[in-house]
Amino acid sequence: MTDGPAARLPTQSNAPKHRPAILAWLLNPYVQILLGALLATVGEVLLAKGAKLAPSIGGPLFWLGPLASRWTWIGIVAYILSLLSWLYVLRSVPLSVAFPLINVVHVFVPLGAKIFLHETVPPRLWGGISLVLLGVLVIARPLMKAEKKL
Amino acid sequence: MTLPAIILCIACQFFLVGGQLFLKHAMRDTAEPRPKWAVARGLFAGIFLQSLWFFVWVNLLKDNKLSHIFPFEGLNPVLLVLAAWLFLKERMTIDSWVGILLICAGIFLVSSS
Repeated sequence: MTDGPAARLPTQSNAPKHRPAILAWLLNPYVQILLGALLATVGEVLLAKGAKLAPSIGGPLFWLGPLASRWTWIGIVAYILSLLSWLYVLRSVPLSVAFPLINVVHVFVPLGAKIFLHETVPPRLWGGISLVLLGVLVIARPLMKAEKKL
Repeated sequence: MTLPAIILCIACQFFLVGGQLFLKHAMRDTAEPRPKWAVARGLFAGIFLQSLWFFVWVNLLKDNKLSHIFPFEGLNPVLLVLAAWLFLKERMTIDSWVGILLICAGIFLVSSS
């Protein structure tokens, strides 16, 4: 490719016009936070599904058992995608904003387990989950101030 | 939840946070160039701990309900704050202690239900 920066500039400035609306929407970092949280939830639910469906194997390699299910592998892919989405978000959104928002996973994951794995989530469990979420948000405040200084 | 499962869930978070700290430490910018083996050693330790986390976690998921063990992930910020306090000599604020208490109370509720 012989395109210099000058040659590429007009195409770049035209890019937003030609970019499909759905792509522009997907590249919005706040949409990515939500997508990342959903991907992490999908990853957790699939890892749980895979681990439970895979046949138990004995012997010293029993801990590799869950890898026998294809759900585990799809779960790993979803997890990696959620990590990439998070790195993309951190490029443009301050951690002080992104971190409190991404913690919706603490609500999404139990909801996902209830809906897709048919787990029972009694009120006491929701109480515990709420306390954890509240605690994470309280701790996050000074942590995020420290991150700004770095 | 059984006591061994609770202990493994907590150990898991140590592996995860420890792995992240190693990776972050290995990838940091330094004024002086470091020998390649020093960076590789840090990356290796980080990846090893993260792999350990994955295999312990996925085997915990086999025998436990996801909604029961996921809240243990809330221990990550607790471990980070404590690591910063112990190793980086950062001062603990009242907020940090309140947050730790809330998370531990939440996990106690979760693991006893």
